[in-house]
Amino acid sequence: MNFADLIQIVWENLRAHRMRAVLTTIGIAIGIAGVIAVVAVGQGGQAVIISEIEKMGSSLYFDISPDYMRGETADSNTFSIEDPTIIKELSPAVDKMAAITLGPMVDVRLPNSDKNTIMASLYGTHPDLIHVLNLSIEKGRFITDLDVTSHSRVVVIDAGLAEDLFPKEDPLGKKIFVQDTPLTVVGVLEKAPSSMLDAFSVRMVYTPITQAQDMLNTRVINQLCGTAVSEEALPQAISDSIKILESRHSSVSKSYMGTTLEEQLEMVGKVTSILTTVIGAVAGIALLVGGVGVMNIMLVAVTERTREIGLLKALGARRRDIMQQFLGEAVALCLLGGLIGMIVGIGGAFAIALAAHWPPLISVWTVLLAIGFSVIIGLFFGLYPASRAASLSPAEALRHL
Amino acid sequence: MISVSGLTKVFGSGDAAVHALRGVDLEISEGDFVAVMGPSGSGKSTFLSILGCLERPSAGEYYLDGRDVNSLEDDELADLRNRKLGFVFQSFNLLPRHNVLRNVEMPLIYAGVPGDERRKRAQELLEQVGLGHRLTHKPAELSGGEQQRVAIARALANNPLVIFADEPTGNLDSKSSLEIMELFQKMHRAGRTIVMVTHEPDIAAYARRVIYFRDGKIVREEAKDELR
Ligand SMILES: Nc1ncnc2c1ncn2[C@@H]1O[C@H](COP(=O)(O)OP(=O)(O)OP(=O)(O)O)[C@@H](O)[C@H]1O
Ligand SMILES: [Mg+2]
Repeated sequence: MNFADLIQIVWENLRAHRMRAVLTTIGIAIGIAGVIAVVAVGQGGQAVIISEIEKMGSSLYFDISPDYMRGETADSNTFSIEDPTIIKELSPAVDKMAAITLGPMVDVRLPNSDKNTIMASLYGTHPDLIHVLNLSIEKGRFITDLDVTSHSRVVVIDAGLAEDLFPKEDPLGKKIFVQDTPLTVVGVLEKAPSSMLDAFSVRMVYTPITQAQDMLNTRVINQLCGTAVSEEALPQAISDSIKILESRHSSVSKSYMGTTLEEQLEMVGKVTSILTTVIGAVAGIALLVGGVGVMNIMLVAVTERTREIGLLKALGARRRDIMQQFLGEAVALCLLGGLIGMIVGIGGAFAIALAAHWPPLISVWTVLLAIGFSVIIGLFFGLYPASRAASLSPAEALRHL
Repeated sequence: MISVSGLTKVFGSGDAAVHALRGVDLEISEGDFVAVMGPSGSGKSTFLSILGCLERPSAGEYYLDGRDVNSLEDDELADLRNRKLGFVFQSFNLLPRHNVLRNVEMPLIYAGVPGDERRKRAQELLEQVGLGHRLTHKPAELSGGEQQRVAIARALANNPLVIFADEPTGNLDSKSSLEIMELFQKMHRAGRTIVMVTHEPDIAAYARRVIYFRDGKIVREEAKDELR
């Protein structure tokens, strides 16, 4: 039997049991759609988070935070404002360093206007932060050492906030209120290349760390971040920083941990791929259930059509012809289900991605794998019924009612 | 052309063993028309399916067209059935999901006849049995007599040496039976060998030889010199 004949015969047989074929196909389609959507959304999310982290800085980046693995959190004794300067002096491996006091949600508004309050994140920090985070200034200047020592009431704002507050004017020299404290804008950052944070409209303001602590009424420094002089010096920079911190804060016996960008990327990669694997496995089970459905249908078809198989053998069908026909039916069901599942899955991935503001990453491989997998399901679950059908003697099969 | 000797067939084993054939010897020459008669359960159908290579005997010799059938592999038997043998059954046994044309095409597909030639041949055969106008109908849309005519066209597809028919008129009224037997007679006149099981004497009367089965053995044989 040649391929075109096989396809025609398979098609005529499936068409005769339309409802049954459709239901089986749906089972497979759901499984395939699930797998494709989950993997695409997972990979897209992973890519977004990784690119977000990569934007934070170079491969020289590291940060030091309280050792949260041992349950430590930052309090007013964990770090001091002088720590970055001391560490830079003592460790030749550390190039730049800044401390950060974070105000995750602060109100920003123009003077004399109570409405139009904008939520922003406040970074109270040292001048080095601009180098550590690879930021660049579009207008004006960043924070200076003098700003830090003199608690200057100055602020550097990001491009998004500048547009929100001063759509038509030059923001430099203007006053804005941050947590009801009037600050003078001395710099505007360059617009970062489009980022997930833009989509969520997270705005950033940067002030001298001393001023931030006054405004937030706290002495807590959340973390230190810095860069090493070279990639090779990165471990040295981290261990030096921790040693220096431990000796400087020995009276309160704190423990610290250092993280590199590399490690953060690895961790994010691990977490998201575990998530993707778990959800993917659930979708995979759905696929398996669909496969058992196909096997069930093929078994029913074989039992129901035993007499027909006997007849085909009487007409001269060899074992191979019978196998081909039944496997053909199973593979056709799965392939059709796979194609529908692929379309639905890709559509679903786009819909989810649109809602979550990240690009769906549909790799050709995922799709090929899903289609290949559905064909394999067809072959695998069709094989047993087909082989059972083919091994009957024609007279035996013909006696079947 | 057909030669069997000492043919036996046992179904099951031990106490449950059924001896369907208990040593059958028979020669059938080319162009012969043989009717097989006998009481129910006497082994007629079993004999026919062994002759038709649908089943292997438990013991005995079988030569068909000079070949030792017992020594052939399953796939060789399939080829033999496809090219040399044709079957007509009591219950028609058409493929319900395929149309009439496709039903007749089936043996040609297994024989590897290319599409155009195949359709032409199937159409010719259907015209010969008077169904040239029903090509795209499904079997369920035809009467019993028409279905059996499709089955005959199908049996003739690869121009076989022998036609085996097990009670071909068993499910038909007398008028359709007559039409079917006319087709058998035409085949016989064209020189085709026919072996047919039947319960009805006036159907058996179409044959040149009638053999009688009882308890798995041939007990009697009648030959007719004249064709009806
Ligand atoms: N597959 C089988 N398993 C067990 N016994 C069988 C099988 N096929 C046939 N038999 C038995 O073999 C004997 C002969 O059966 P067969 O069908 O050849 O009879 P028959 O002459 O064709 O009868 P009928 O005229 O009713 O069709 C019967 O006793 C039947 O019960
Ligand atoms: Mg019988």
